[in-house]
Amino acid sequence: MRVATLLRKIFLLDLLKGLSLTFRYQDPKEIYTEQYPLQRPQVAERYRGLPRLNVNPETGKTLCIACDLCAKACPENLIVVESERDPVTKRKVLTKYTFDISRCMFCGLCEESCSTDALELTQDYEIAQYGREGLVLDRERLERGPEGKVYER
Amino acid sequence: MSTQFTQYLQSTLTPGQAGNMLWATIYILVIFAGISLCVVFINWGERKALAHFQIRLGPMRVGPHGLLQPIADALKLLLKEDTIPANADKVVFWIAPFIVTTAAFVVYLVVPFGPQHAVTDMNIGILFMLGVSSLGVLGIITAGWASNSHYPLLGSLRSSAQMVSYEVAMGLAVISAILMTSFTPGVASGTLSMIGIVEAQKTQGVWFLFKFFPLGLIAFGVFAIAMIAETNRAPFDLPEAESELVAGFHTEYSGFRWSLFMLGEYAAMIAVSGIAVTLWLGGWMRPFPNLLAGSVWDTIFSLVPGAFFLFLGAVTLYGTARMPKHPALRIQTLGLGVFGMAIAAVGLVLLVPAVRVRVQDIFWFMIKVAAFIYMYIWYRATFPRYRFDQLMRVGWKVLLPISLGVLIVTGVVGLSPELLTWLKGVL
Amino acid sequence: MTTATSNLDLHEDKTFLDSTELILNMGPQHPSTHGVLRVILKLDGEKVLGAECVIGYLHRGVEKIAENRTYTQFGPYVDRMDYVASVSNGLGYCETVEKLINVEAPPRAQHIRVILTELNRITSHQVWLGTHALDLGAMTPVFYCFRDREEILKIFEKYCGARLTTHAFRVGGCQWETYEGFEKEVLRLCDFFEPKIDEYEQLLTTNRIWIERTKGVGVISGPQCIAMGVTGPVLRGSGVKWDLRKAKPYSGYEKFDFEIATGENGDTYDRYIVRIREMRQSVRIIRQAVESLPAGPIMAKVPKVLKPLPGEVYHSIEAPKGELGYFIVSDGSLQPYRIRVRPPSFVNLQALDQMVRGRLIADVVAIIGTIDIVLGEVDR
Repeated sequence: MRVATLLRKIFLLDLLKGLSLTFRYQDPKEIYTEQYPLQRPQVAERYRGLPRLNVNPETGKTLCIACDLCAKACPENLIVVESERDPVTKRKVLTKYTFDISRCMFCGLCEESCSTDALELTQDYEIAQYGREGLVLDRERLERGPEGKVYER
Repeated sequence: MSTQFTQYLQSTLTPGQAGNMLWATIYILVIFAGISLCVVFINWGERKALAHFQIRLGPMRVGPHGLLQPIADALKLLLKEDTIPANADKVVFWIAPFIVTTAAFVVYLVVPFGPQHAVTDMNIGILFMLGVSSLGVLGIITAGWASNSHYPLLGSLRSSAQMVSYEVAMGLAVISAILMTSFTPGVASGTLSMIGIVEAQKTQGVWFLFKFFPLGLIAFGVFAIAMIAETNRAPFDLPEAESELVAGFHTEYSGFRWSLFMLGEYAAMIAVSGIAVTLWLGGWMRPFPNLLAGSVWDTIFSLVPGAFFLFLGAVTLYGTARMPKHPALRIQTLGLGVFGMAIAAVGLVLLVPAVRVRVQDIFWFMIKVAAFIYMYIWYRATFPRYRFDQLMRVGWKVLLPISLGVLIVTGVVGLSPELLTWLKGVL
Repeated sequence: MTTATSNLDLHEDKTFLDSTELILNMGPQHPSTHGVLRVILKLDGEKVLGAECVIGYLHRGVEKIAENRTYTQFGPYVDRMDYVASVSNGLGYCETVEKLINVEAPPRAQHIRVILTELNRITSHQVWLGTHALDLGAMTPVFYCFRDREEILKIFEKYCGARLTTHAFRVGGCQWETYEGFEKEVLRLCDFFEPKIDEYEQLLTTNRIWIERTKGVGVISGPQCIAMGVTGPVLRGSGVKWDLRKAKPYSGYEKFDFEIATGENGDTYDRYIVRIREMRQSVRIIRQAVESLPAGPIMAKVPKVLKPLPGEVYHSIEAPKGELGYFIVSDGSLQPYRIRVRPPSFVNLQALDQMVRGRLIADVVAIIGTIDIVLGEVDR
């Protein structure tokens, strides 16, 4: 056994083993780089990205019932829900909804606590802005949802 | 002057031997420009090859497939602010990169790209090469000294200690190759001239790599390892490693001065690869010059350079066809197509008989050197680096005894016919 | 500079000739210190006489934040401590709170937790292997490790929606049911990944340069480890067979059959072998867990508003880096009175001084890498 190890050492077999592995990986099929922005990664369905306020597709009215559970669940207290009581139906109607994604951790606690299907974290991850103004989303922006980014260069 | 120009075209000697100053100058300028161009290509090639070993792509944006990346790097380095440390010795600081680069380039005076394609053929060629390449160590020490900071100084001392210790092993390996030149039957003595060494391999009909197998191979192996340590490349690159405390002798150098160090390092890499190719791999000779002799084989092998460039051009044009059809990449696709056609044009020019006869020696030499450079990059991708004391141990305790042993055994084996006749005479 | 309270003055044979001692600062910004760690080295030429770590550059006040959040709201913050192994952090926290309110997660939830935690162990060790090899000069294993890690992160993303800061578990069980094809994908990942471990070993384990750089470097003995409270692969590399998954099983680990990897000499090479073997054992556990995944509920009966009785509890798990412990003091209100985290990297970092004595500067980088610290955990 000692002779075998000695021969392995002399003929640099351990070094050749490593060399053969790196050589094999030169195959273009092994390349793992994605050329963003030409290829955008497809994220999973449960991905916690940009939030969105869902609207009833038939009536166009918001699904949010202003129960304020999302604001209470948020660890950072960055959701502000303002509502007023409708004198006719005696139910709360949503007036203002603000979501500050500059402090958001995308933890998903708000999405889980929503009692209707209103608040949802979508699969949009391209939400960078050039200044702080674009990071405080109001109700209209949230109902519009992800807008997709087009890169020219 | 014009007679000097035309008269040389008839001769079969190097410009130095023919005493032709004009052509010697032309050769020097061509070599300087050519090696600088090679360094640019090696820079691109290293980044792409290293990236492919690491299953990624490397530069892709700066030009099609990153081909303009070295130019962007060079521009950035030229435009960078030239900082000099406060209490540094300004003259020495200025001179150090030039010493390193000059030592690396002066070596090319004797590198034989072909039987008449060397600037000169000194009869002490190999000695000259070893001596001048050692002058680079002076540049490194002065660079560390002039930086006036003890980390570059320590780094430069370590670097120079490493280079000096591996030069001993390198020198002994070289001696055993030179010893083999003296075993040509019918020749009185061996030769130190670079062209003479390749001629000896041609006459003996075997690359010194395979002579007295495995002695030539072991000597070549010792030289291959020593030359990596000589040029401070992985796995012997502790003095310039990024994850170490001491960033090496070129810490305080920025911009153009640093690019001179880099130029010197890559030029030294090509130069020592050139020495290895000359001494063991048959220099400029095409494969099997004696086995597959005759004008038919000569013609076939002389078509190889042209075919090689045509193949490269075809690969580039195939890459152009496969580029993504995005409007942002239109200019890149066009550029790549033009580049591909330029390479193919070079290939066509190399097929012309008048050109290919003269150029094929250079081609075979450069192909062999390119294989060595590829090995450099391959080692860098694969191996971790040695710690400094382990590095010195390998140089002194492993390589030196092996090369001494190989030298002695080569001498005994080579002289064995004479030894046997002497023994028979005595007994 | 160091004050009188530093322990760098333990140099026995001090003579007047020792004015060559150099104090070297490996500053917070350094390519090799895995985060913002400042190490002050006392050198004699190239030999290291002692080291002192200055931490706190990444302190974010997580434990203070905990005093102002409810138990459910604190869940996301826990991931960000050891950001490489966030699933383990979540597991430790949820189990501690469950212990506080005396609730046990249902068996299916426990199995899902084990699968994700073991996958997380593999990802953490891959990050360690890549960065450790990179520190020692091998530039390719880091890319191979991160590429293989991508597949596991894709599974995390499909399960809980995030790759790194997963927030996968909730107090009382798991929030999400496994997605369609979870078991198949995990098993396919196990088949994909086992040859990759062989590849990492092919590059490094028998490589003579790797062996020379890591054998005999950073030796620490078993008794020294126990004296300092060092746990995890560092302890097991020194030969002590202590793994919380076997000694004090939690979350259903007693049902699975796996081995504890130990080393002999307590040097860097042994810790490397221990972690490689742990990756293999993790694959073994994952296979067993997937094959025996029971049906049933994934969430125990936990009130929506968590108001535990006043009391205190300490619970620890075997995180990839060592023993991760949570000590929660509750005063009966919605928010905890105090949460104290026992991070494994913080306690293991104490061993740095013992390990670097007598080695060269080039080894310090290797030793910091082999302890496997994540500054997010050390500083919280």
